[in-house]
Amino acid sequence: MKLPKFMNAVIMTAAITMGGSAVQAQQAGGSMVFLVQPEPPTMAGYVSTSGPIGLLGPKIYDGLFDYDNDGKMIPVLAESYDTSADGKTVTFNLRKGVTWHDGKPFTSADVQFTIMEVLKKVHPRGPNSFKEVSSIDTPDAHTAVFNLGNPAPYMLRALSAYESPMVPKHLLEGQDIKSAKLANNPVGTGPFKFTEWKKGQYIRLDKNESYWKEGRPYIDRIVGRFIPDASTRAAAMEKGEVLYAAYNAVSNVEAVRLNKEKDNISVTTDGYSMINPMALIEFNTKEGPFTDAVVRRAISTAIDRQYMIDTIFFGYGNPATSALSSNFAATGLHAEMPHYPATGDIAAANQMLDDAGYKKDSDGVRMKAMFDLIPYGEDWKRGGQYIQQVLGEIGIDVELRYEDVPTWLKRVYHNYDFDMNLNYFYQLSDPVLGVHRHYGTNMIRKGTHFVNSSRYSNADLDALLGAGMTEPDAEKRSAIYMEIQEILARDMPVVNLFELEFLTVYNTKLKGAYGSAMGAYSSFADAYLD
Amino acid sequence: MNRSSKILRYVAKRLIQGIPIILAIVVMNFFLLNLAEGDAVDVLAGEAGSATPEYMEEMRKKFGLDKPLPVQLAVYLKNVVQLDLGRSHRHDMPVTELIVDRLWPTLLLMTSTIMLAVGFGILLGLFAAINLNTWKDAMISVFALITYATPLFWVGLMMIILFSIKNDWFPTSGMENSAAFYEGLDRVKDIAHHLVLPTITLSLFYLALYTRMMRASMLEQYGQDYVITARAKGLTERRITFVHVLRNALLPVVTMAGVQVGALIGGSVIVESVFAWPGLGMLAFESLFARDLNLLLGIFLLSSVLVVAVNLVVDIIYCFLDPRIEVN
Repeated sequence: MKLPKFMNAVIMTAAITMGGSAVQAQQAGGSMVFLVQPEPPTMAGYVSTSGPIGLLGPKIYDGLFDYDNDGKMIPVLAESYDTSADGKTVTFNLRKGVTWHDGKPFTSADVQFTIMEVLKKVHPRGPNSFKEVSSIDTPDAHTAVFNLGNPAPYMLRALSAYESPMVPKHLLEGQDIKSAKLANNPVGTGPFKFTEWKKGQYIRLDKNESYWKEGRPYIDRIVGRFIPDASTRAAAMEKGEVLYAAYNAVSNVEAVRLNKEKDNISVTTDGYSMINPMALIEFNTKEGPFTDAVVRRAISTAIDRQYMIDTIFFGYGNPATSALSSNFAATGLHAEMPHYPATGDIAAANQMLDDAGYKKDSDGVRMKAMFDLIPYGEDWKRGGQYIQQVLGEIGIDVELRYEDVPTWLKRVYHNYDFDMNLNYFYQLSDPVLGVHRHYGTNMIRKGTHFVNSSRYSNADLDALLGAGMTEPDAEKRSAIYMEIQEILARDMPVVNLFELEFLTVYNTKLKGAYGSAMGAYSSFADAYLD
Repeated sequence: MNRSSKILRYVAKRLIQGIPIILAIVVMNFFLLNLAEGDAVDVLAGEAGSATPEYMEEMRKKFGLDKPLPVQLAVYLKNVVQLDLGRSHRHDMPVTELIVDRLWPTLLLMTSTIMLAVGFGILLGLFAAINLNTWKDAMISVFALITYATPLFWVGLMMIILFSIKNDWFPTSGMENSAAFYEGLDRVKDIAHHLVLPTITLSLFYLALYTRMMRASMLEQYGQDYVITARAKGLTERRITFVHVLRNALLPVVTMAGVQVGALIGGSVIVESVFAWPGLGMLAFESLFARDLNLLLGIFLLSSVLVVAVNLVVDIIYCFLDPRIEVN
């Protein structure tokens, strides 16, 4: 049903008002124990985007904005923003009366310091997100004016507490930010304060009584528990010892079972759209058997993506149809491309290789290769085994290699000692933030993880990526990314497999924790226990 | 010279001998661990999502990982001699603090497991030997065989399913209730409650070992000449068993228990992982994958000290069990 725009607005307003009046029914108090897997190294979300830090950090630190499940910006530390006509000045009006957990006031100086000295310098993705920010003016304590070299529309998608947490200037200034004490004793403006970290057991956060949002948070205490064994995690969920488990901390097979057998346990795939994970194969385009784009296209054609999703990931996922995720369709940055058949076409793939002159020998083998697998668990091993089988059918004989994380990272991103590599990347909320790093010539960085390990370099593409980054007009931007997708579907330095759907398993006792597009990486200020 | 001063001199001598052994272990561990590909910086940067090469170089410099290996070793040895185990790169905390934090849950699990396993093992072995070749003996042997052959992680999971999910008797995992945070005596009770399942799981395996060993050892002693002599003197069977045979039969069991204290630290990784018990085994396991070598070396150092110490204690227990064994 299509409603006129104003009707939508009316309904939205009504929904918000009703949501507001329902507040009375929400109970305050209680402890919310959830799974954090694995145990994080520190709690410095401003230095590391590591998953488990993301589960805890946003409860302690606020961002300027949050995003709802439709991608709309929700004001947090910034009440509103204003972009100038040329797109080169963005003014943030900050919330008044916000204090850090140690009682000091939060001001525009903190915002300036966080962006310029912390995120732009030591955050893994910050230099990208805030690349165009040349300076920040602070005309008063509650106004921060970002001066940009070029328009940077993607920047507004990177302001969440997970992606860009606001940190206290007075506790970091003049110190080496990477080794500052704040990493293990976090002090933020968020709804929960850090209380205790029992290594090997849990991290405990307690309610911030002076949180800026009236009456929030509802919950008295949040505890993140570490349980190394996957079966025990499922048992703890089943028993109700933990109430929430995101990012497949409870495996798909157990999640599906619990969802079916238990009335009080449910699953959702919401809360991952800003993360946008994509399973893929990276190829070594400089050495080895995959220097020819025809072979890479044939591989993409042969793989039955739907089969992988159905049999290995219990139906959770969508076949990839381009270098960009279909989640970008909302902003007009996605189109279906050739050589991405959902169910695979072995005959066509064989034909492509035959036509290109790759002859099969007496054993039916055209070429041999080593296939590295991301060492993140059994699902990826099984995925590798499936692909091994399919490639066998088109005459590519691959051997699987599964190592531990440091060995694998060093091999792929430092030594480039690989032929093809099964992996997954976060495409994040905009291609500039999550996808450019995979293809740009400037992202061939020896020793940096999760960048252009294919060492693919194409001057035309580089120019387009540059243009896509600064183009403020939505339609023109869409055209640029169309061209980018066409080039990548032709050259295929990376073959996308499918858009992963992570599962969040939760006890229905926990309510109000599902409204943010950041999912588990959100603040839980509105969460309550029934 | 009297016995106690003899023992003291012996202990002092053994302790001095232990120092070069421990140092050799440290040096060997250092080189062995450095054979692994990748370092702590690779792992940290990998988890962080992405990091620039300059940033990684800077981190290596900060951790001292940019220096050649022999220099790193010299620095480490110098620190160890001053009883400083360095900092964990991953946790950004002193190694000693991390280890001490995990030591007491480890000791708790280890002591309760050894007491349960050795205690019940001795009893069951004794009972089996007394009732040789009856149905009681057969039952005990079958029980020992099954518990010995069953993988620990499976036993652990079955325990959780049976006693935690099907019957709400024990918590699934962890060391304390992390929703309630008890204090004082309630906390002690809570920890004891959490300790039951992991202790039973871990001791089942060792229990089987001690049962079979005790049984065999008893039977061997029964065949000795001194038993015949005792019978000829007219002693009761009860006195022969409990005063003469039992004491002699205990020697190999005590030896075994001593050797296994060292193994228990590492061998409990599976149980610690299944029950989320915050012990040293899990810490060592995680630090290996994080290439947190300082921490790993610290744990190894501690366990080698522990093994040397326990062996010494076992040797001294021998003297009391069998007065014919003398220290010198």
